[in-house]
Amino acid sequence: MMLASGIYFLRSALEGLRRAPLLHLVSITAIAFALLLGGMARLASGALDSLLVASRSQVELTVYLEPNVSEDEAARIAQQLVGLGTPARVVSPEAALRRLRNELGDLGKLLDDLPQNPLPPTIELELPGSARGSARIDELARRAKALPGVAEIDDGGQAVAQLVRVGRALRFGAAAVFTVASLAAVLIVAATLQLTIYARRQEIEVQKLVGATNRFVRTPFVIEGLIEGLIGASAASLGLAFIARILAPKLTPLLSFVADRAATQPLPSGRIIVEVLAAGCLLGVLGSLAAVHRFLRT
Amino acid sequence: MIQLFHVSRVFPGDYAALSDVSLAVTRGEFVFLTGPSGAGKTTLLRLMFCADRPTQGQILVDGCNVSHLTRSSIPALRRKIGVVFQDFKLLPRATVAENVALALQVAGIHGYERERRVRRVLAQVGLEHRATALPPQLSGGEQQRAVVARALVHDPLVLLADEPTGNLDPAMTIQIMDLLCAANARGVTVLVATHDPGLLARYPKRVLHLDKGHLVKDSEAVSVPLRAAQA
Repeated sequence: MMLASGIYFLRSALEGLRRAPLLHLVSITAIAFALLLGGMARLASGALDSLLVASRSQVELTVYLEPNVSEDEAARIAQQLVGLGTPARVVSPEAALRRLRNELGDLGKLLDDLPQNPLPPTIELELPGSARGSARIDELARRAKALPGVAEIDDGGQAVAQLVRVGRALRFGAAAVFTVASLAAVLIVAATLQLTIYARRQEIEVQKLVGATNRFVRTPFVIEGLIEGLIGASAASLGLAFIARILAPKLTPLLSFVADRAATQPLPSGRIIVEVLAAGCLLGVLGSLAAVHRFLRT
Repeated sequence: MIQLFHVSRVFPGDYAALSDVSLAVTRGEFVFLTGPSGAGKTTLLRLMFCADRPTQGQILVDGCNVSHLTRSSIPALRRKIGVVFQDFKLLPRATVAENVALALQVAGIHGYERERRVRRVLAQVGLEHRATALPPQLSGGEQQRAVVARALVHDPLVLLADEPTGNLDPAMTIQIMDLLCAANARGVTVLVATHDPGLLARYPKRVLHLDKGHLVKDSEAVSVPLRAAQA
């Protein structure tokens, strides 16, 4: 019985979609646009989260030396730092410049125009992520700073704090944009469905006169909204994959300043696709419910 | 089966379509509702299946007070009633069988049972060969028979017919009336609104006469000679 009803409602919904394809296309486009915006924001915040996780998984204390410190002196300072209980690696100005050139990818060619290497020699100290914010880091930084030839210490905390702030702002902005776009999509779905409901008012009137409940009248339109939502969400998912495919290669080198490449791949995951599909269904159903409710109330 | 107690319906502008109408129709009765145009026949029928609400008074249909029915309870009432509308109200894009099946669809009757009932009622009204035709492809008489089929397919307790023979020729009128009488013979309470005196003469049934919204006469089985009525 339920199956027979379901088939009837589905057929009725498909018939409704077939009758006014252009109107439904407007709704589908609105849903796809809203979800594309929301999905892009979700991708960006997801990539930022990955960065944060990656940057929190290890602490790299960078000891910047005076520019005039020789390689031998740098090695001696590194030995002293090893003595403080942590592995230390000397990075010469040339090696640092090579690394920067690699990280910048195509943009790295710009560095060729520099009259001289502006990077100082550095010593990198690696500590486990659990050490972040601990007194051990502060103590290590304080003692390293006291060594002759050391100019500055950077534990990456500022960069992480900056990332957290950017992430928070991005999430807030994304939520605001997604809310506004979703509201607009729901209103457009409701408005277009109202037109199709109006075109089928005679059919609805007859249904009601022969004893149809509001649920019976409502269900095919809700299914129409659901189908619109699914199609819009599928289009948005494809759009997201396409955008990510184009943007990922350009974004990855820029983000690799703060984390490795593996952590900065902004491709849409299965979870994001499921979220987009669910949001599409919700927008479609909400729009259709609003339209039918308004019609049945009058 | 149907009871009206002091029912009035006043439309905006103080136009009283019905004024203080009280009547009772027993189960299985066949009743004509007659009167000139604007007498209130259609309004009275509409009140019975809750297409409209009375301004005053109470209406009971099968023990249910339809004057105070909530919106959500109206569908259940309508499934007990079959209505033959003056303007047919057939869905132009649906076939005759689909139009008839609609009354079963809304009641949750599907599959073989629905097909069996649709076939049976279409055979009763002589439209089984037109089951796949669309309403615009039917003659006026065929459309009216399709409407009667839709009104009867769910075995209603009450059949309300608003001018069911208004646009039909005499032969078709007899066909439709015979269908309504056959339903009545099966126990369905039938109310037919008509201003055709020929019908009243041919079918000696109880007649409720309305005039300007007032019930002015309630007569059992009128005995108007057919020729006199047609004159």
